[in-house]
Amino acid sequence: MELRFLHFYPDLMSLYGSWGNVALLRRHLEDLGNTVTVEEIRPGEQVNFENADFIFMGAGTERSQKAALEDFARFGKDVRDAADNGVTMLFCGTAMQLLGQSITDVTGTYFMGVRVGNFSCTQGKKRFVGDVYGHTDLYQSPIVGFMNSCTLVSGVLTPLLTELFMGFGNEQERGPEGFRKNNVFASELTGPILVKNPPLMRRVITGIYDHRGQALPISLPAYPMEEESYRIACQELKTRFEKE
Amino acid sequence: MKKFFAILVCKLGRFVGKLVGRGSSLPGKYALKICPDILRQVTLPRYIIAVTGSNGKTSTVEMIAAILRAEGKNVVYNEEGSNQIEGVTTTVLTHSTYGGVMKADVLLIESDERYAAHSFQFFHPTHFVVTNLYRDQLTRNGHPEWVFDALKPAMFPETRLILNADDPLSACFALDRDNVRWFGLDRCSISTEEPSGIYHDGAYCPICKSPMEYRYYHFNHIGSYHCPSCEFGKPAHVDYAATDLDLEQGLLTIGQELTIHLAFRSIYNVYNILAAYAVCRECGVCAEHIGKVVNNYILKNGRMVRFLLGAHHGMLLTSKHENSIAYDTNLRYVRSTEDPCTVVIIVDAVSRKYYTSETSWLWDIDFGRLNCSHVQKILLCGQYASDLAVRFSFTDVPQEKIELHPDITEACNSLKAGGAEDVYVLTCFSDRDKLLTQVEKEAV
Repeated sequence: MELRFLHFYPDLMSLYGSWGNVALLRRHLEDLGNTVTVEEIRPGEQVNFENADFIFMGAGTERSQKAALEDFARFGKDVRDAADNGVTMLFCGTAMQLLGQSITDVTGTYFMGVRVGNFSCTQGKKRFVGDVYGHTDLYQSPIVGFMNSCTLVSGVLTPLLTELFMGFGNEQERGPEGFRKNNVFASELTGPILVKNPPLMRRVITGIYDHRGQALPISLPAYPMEEESYRIACQELKTRFEKE
Repeated sequence: MKKFFAILVCKLGRFVGKLVGRGSSLPGKYALKICPDILRQVTLPRYIIAVTGSNGKTSTVEMIAAILRAEGKNVVYNEEGSNQIEGVTTTVLTHSTYGGVMKADVLLIESDERYAAHSFQFFHPTHFVVTNLYRDQLTRNGHPEWVFDALKPAMFPETRLILNADDPLSACFALDRDNVRWFGLDRCSISTEEPSGIYHDGAYCPICKSPMEYRYYHFNHIGSYHCPSCEFGKPAHVDYAATDLDLEQGLLTIGQELTIHLAFRSIYNVYNILAAYAVCRECGVCAEHIGKVVNNYILKNGRMVRFLLGAHHGMLLTSKHENSIAYDTNLRYVRSTEDPCTVVIIVDAVSRKYYTSETSWLWDIDFGRLNCSHVQKILLCGQYASDLAVRFSFTDVPQEKIELHPDITEACNSLKAGGAEDVYVLTCFSDRDKLLTQVEKEAV
C-alpha cells in the first residue's frame, strides 16, 4: 500500500522524543512492504485530509499548545470526519486536549477544541509528572509510559487506559486515562509511546490496515529490542507499584 | 533567642552530620523549624550571588568562587550542592556568628531553578546568573517554560540579572525590567547557518510563538535569534561578549582585551566561563585578574574523570541523564577528537535521586554524531541498553559498530581484554560509579 501520514506541528509540538512515534511506525509499515509518505504540517500550511492514513500530533508546552490549537481549529470538521471514518490518529501529551470540547488555561481563559471527543480540559498550577502503568480494553498486556501534565480532563467516557496501577488519570490518581474513539488514540502520556508499547504499535497498524480494508499479514516481523525494552519497563514499573 | 537557638542547632547539626557523613540539608531544615524567617534575621554580606539554570550551575559557581577567592574575598558557597532553601540555610548559618552576622564577603548560591523563588523569599540576591534553560529532567521539571514560570518570581527588581543573551528562553527574564547584564558569544568559527540537534526549541518565539529567524547558531538553538513578528531577539548590545572562539586550538577571546586557553575544549565550558566572567566583572574584578584564574582552569567538581582500563586511556564525561543538550555537548566533544576510540554509553538507573523508568529523553539526543570514522565501536550498557539500541537504530551509525552489554562489569571486562584505543564514557551521576569502581583513576 502507499500510505500517507500527516504529522502536525513537528517542531512546535515536539516535546521529549515525540518524533519517535512517527519514525518507528513508518519503519514497521515499510517492513510490511508499504510505502509511507510523511507530510509535516506547520502553522498556516494547507492540508488535504483526503486519503490520510495516519494523523499524529506530539506533546508541547502549554503555550505551544495554544499556538497549535489556534491553527488546528481550522481543521475541526476535517478531523471530526476523519475520526468518524475510521482514520487512525495518535495525539500524545498536551495534543490530546485539542481533540476535546475545550481547554481552560491557568488564567481561566477558555479555548474551544476541535470536538472529536466530548471532554473538557482544565489546566492548573500543579503538575502531574511520573511513570504510568495501566491497562486498556484493546488488548491484554499493559500500557507503560510517562506523564507530564498540569491538566484535569473531564467527560471522557471511552478512555484509552481503562485502569491505572501507577500514575495520574484524566481526573484522579490511578483513574482512567486518555481518550479513544474508533481508531483515534489519545493520551496525556508524552514521548514515544508507540516505541515503548509494541502492543499499541500493533493496534495502530491494525487500525491503518482496517481503514484500508486490508488484512494484516499473518506473520509479522519480530523486533526483539523493542520487546525487550517493553519487558523491562513493565517489570520495573510493576515491581515498583507492587512495593508501594 | 529563637535566632540564637536556630543557629546553634544548625551548627551542631552540621558538625554531627559531617562526622557521620550525612547531607547538608537537615541542619537547615531544623533551623527553619525553630525560626522560619531566620534567613531574614541574619546579616548577609554585601554580595549575594545566585546561579541557576539547566546546565552549568556547579561549574560556573566553582569558577566564580575561584576568581573571587583569588581577589582575597572570603567566599561562602553551598559546595555540596544542597541547592534548596534548607541547604542554603545550612550554608548561611554555619558561616554566621551566634549573633547572626555572616562571616563572608560573598555569599554564593547554586540555586535549584524550580525552588529559587522559595529559597529567596527572605533575602534577595544582589546578582542572579541564569546560565540557560533547556529541556532537563522532565521527571522533576516538566518542561523549560514551566521552569521559567517557576523561576520568574525570584527575579526581584533590585537584583541584577546576568543573562545568557544567546538563549531565547532565559533572555525573556529581561522583559519589562531594567538592571540586566548580558553575556554571550559573537559569530565565530563554530557558528553554523543551520540548527543542530534532534529538535529545535528555537523554531518559535518564546513570547508570541511566531516562527523565529536565526542569523547563526552556536549549538542546538543557542545563537543569534530574532522574531520578525514581535521583534524579540538577541540583545543588540552584549555587555560581556566573547568575540572569538577557536575550539580546535582551545582559545577564547572575551572583549578585545582577554584571551584565555581552555583546559576543556567544550562549548559548555565556554558559556560557563562567560557567565563567571560577567558576574565577577560586575563585582569589580578586572578582566586581567579573571583571566589569570580561568586560564587553563581545570574543574574540580569531578564531572570529568580520566582513567585507565586495561591498556585503554579513558575519559568519563558526566552527562546528566534526561538532559539531551548535556549529552549532545559531550557527543560533539567526542566527535571533535581525532584518535581512534570506543564510546561507552551507560543508562542503568535514570536518576540517583528519584525512581523513574522513563527513557523518552534518549530520543532527544543526537547520537548520530557518533557516526564518524574514528569512533570505532560503541558499547551500549546498563538496564536500558535495549532502549539505547532501538534509539541507535534511527541513526546512521553502522550497526556493526554497536555492541550491547546490559551488564556493565561485563562491558568493562570486554574492554580490558583487548585493544588500546581511547575510551570515552558518557553517563550520569546515577551510573558513573558503576564504571569508576572498575577502573584506575588518573589525574585530570
